[in-house]
Amino acid sequence: MRYLVMECHPSYAVLLDEEGRFLKAANLRYEMGQTVYAPVLMKETPKRQRHTMRWISSIAAAAACFLLFFGISHYQNYLQPYSSIYLTINPEVQMDLNRRGIVVKLSGANEDGEILLEGYDGKGKDKVIVADELIDRAIEMGFLSEGGKVSFSIDSPDEALFQEYGTELRTKVTEHLDGRITITIEIVKHKDGQGQENPENSSSPDSFQPTSSQPASTSPPPSESSRPEIVPPTPSATTDYDNTDYGTSNDGVTDHTPPASSTPAYVDTDYGSGNDGVTDYTDGNTDYAPGNDSDDDLEENGDSSYDDDDGSNNDDSDYGDDED
Amino acid sequence: MNDEHKIVQQVYAAKEDVQAADRLISTYIPFIKTETAKFLKRPPIEGHDDELSIAMIAFHEAINGYSRTRGAFLKYAALLIRSRLIDYSRMEQRHSRVVSLDAPTGEDDKTLGETLADKREPHEEMAARDATRSEIEELTRQMQEFGVSLSDVADNCPRQQRTLDACRKALQYAGATPELLNDLLRTKKLPIGPLAAGSGVERKTLERHRKYMVALLLIYTNGYEIIRGHLKQVMKGVAV
Repeated sequence: MRYLVMECHPSYAVLLDEEGRFLKAANLRYEMGQTVYAPVLMKETPKRQRHTMRWISSIAAAAACFLLFFGISHYQNYLQPYSSIYLTINPEVQMDLNRRGIVVKLSGANEDGEILLEGYDGKGKDKVIVADELIDRAIEMGFLSEGGKVSFSIDSPDEALFQEYGTELRTKVTEHLDGRITITIEIVKHKDGQGQENPENSSSPDSFQPTSSQPASTSPPPSESSRPEIVPPTPSATTDYDNTDYGTSNDGVTDHTPPASSTPAYVDTDYGSGNDGVTDYTDGNTDYAPGNDSDDDLEENGDSSYDDDDGSNNDDSDYGDDED
Repeated sequence: MNDEHKIVQQVYAAKEDVQAADRLISTYIPFIKTETAKFLKRPPIEGHDDELSIAMIAFHEAINGYSRTRGAFLKYAALLIRSRLIDYSRMEQRHSRVVSLDAPTGEDDKTLGETLADKREPHEEMAARDATRSEIEELTRQMQEFGVSLSDVADNCPRQQRTLDACRKALQYAGATPELLNDLLRTKKLPIGPLAAGSGVERKTLERHRKYMVALLLIYTNGYEIIRGHLKQVMKGVAV
């Protein structure tokens, strides 16, 4: 390619190539108007583009980090299933909850459960609302009727959450159904299995008023610790407690407890009867009689000793009888 | 610290102004010579060693490419000079097997070039070069009326082939419509609107390369036969 030297500077020359490009090149002793063939062209640094690219890439990196961070926290808080509640009427429904207690997934655990969930979308709602609505649907569809039982099996990673969810569900669902239908609500810990946790569950029969069942729902944890204290004073007063072993065991216990506390009375009675026995023994112990025969010594000693003893009269009478 | 600050200011001024760049380079000629000498392992001879010219254009590149965030200017310039000199020496290695015309033949102290028959006629060549020079000077003068210098045009020249083609398309349209060229000469302004509308080239492209378009349109207005002859391909098929 031929280049026409258009302008000469000490440090560079402006060249015009055959395609109409104006270029800067090293001025290798060029003169204006000269035609050259192999110039050393100046390399252009596309600095602006590089700057914008650097800006864009750094901003993009920051934005990506930002999104990643918030994406992860959002996923952990809202999308990732953290705990589960199995609602069992007869239809069994599994509710997967996020950390906020919002339902992220609903699935039927059995056929009836799937029927119950047909056409229902509970995603994004609070667990209590979903539970209320599902129970309503169950009532409408005939799965649940008066006197029925609803079981909430809670699968949570820690005990505190189990307590919180259990209390909340029991309270809110009871309030929701208040005055409409009476059912039994059962809260079970899912991991340990229903059998183990049954005694702990406070199954509140709704034959009681809901207001009375609320304290019952909150009482189970303390009731465990207070049972030994409360039960003994009123063993037979409450019919509910009769069912427990304490009712029957109390009878046995009362026999045992008095000896510990009434040992002095027991001694007294023996003593009382012992007095009688003593007279008998003295009767039997005719050997004493010969001793008695030696009245002077014994009387002096015996009187002084027997007088100090309680039944001096008896002794006297006995002695009198003996003498007779 | 103050010295450094001063040279940074000078460099930033030289980025905008060609004359300031020339002044800065002439101030730093000793520095450029030192850097070249480090590479050549001998002092460069002005007007003889191409390496010095390469070092100077590398210094010019350093002025254009320097940014405050890149540290000291002179270190950057030294690095760039060294890199360009290495590039140049590698390029020159390709010709290492070629015998220089300046090599002595061994007879009567004549060089190889002097023994060859020269078909060119130096007088005609000199005349042609003078004619070309006068045309270029005329063009430079006319461009000054538009506030454009040749160095500006070199900086403003399209780099991408696609952009070059777009500009060429606009030029061809302008060559076919003499009114546009007349408007240009009369108003001393580039008629970007009609040019973009008529040629179908994006207005933004023409605005970005306004100085380049002015230079080429001027070349195609009146005269400049030699320059136009040099530009073989630009206006191919366009009758002016």
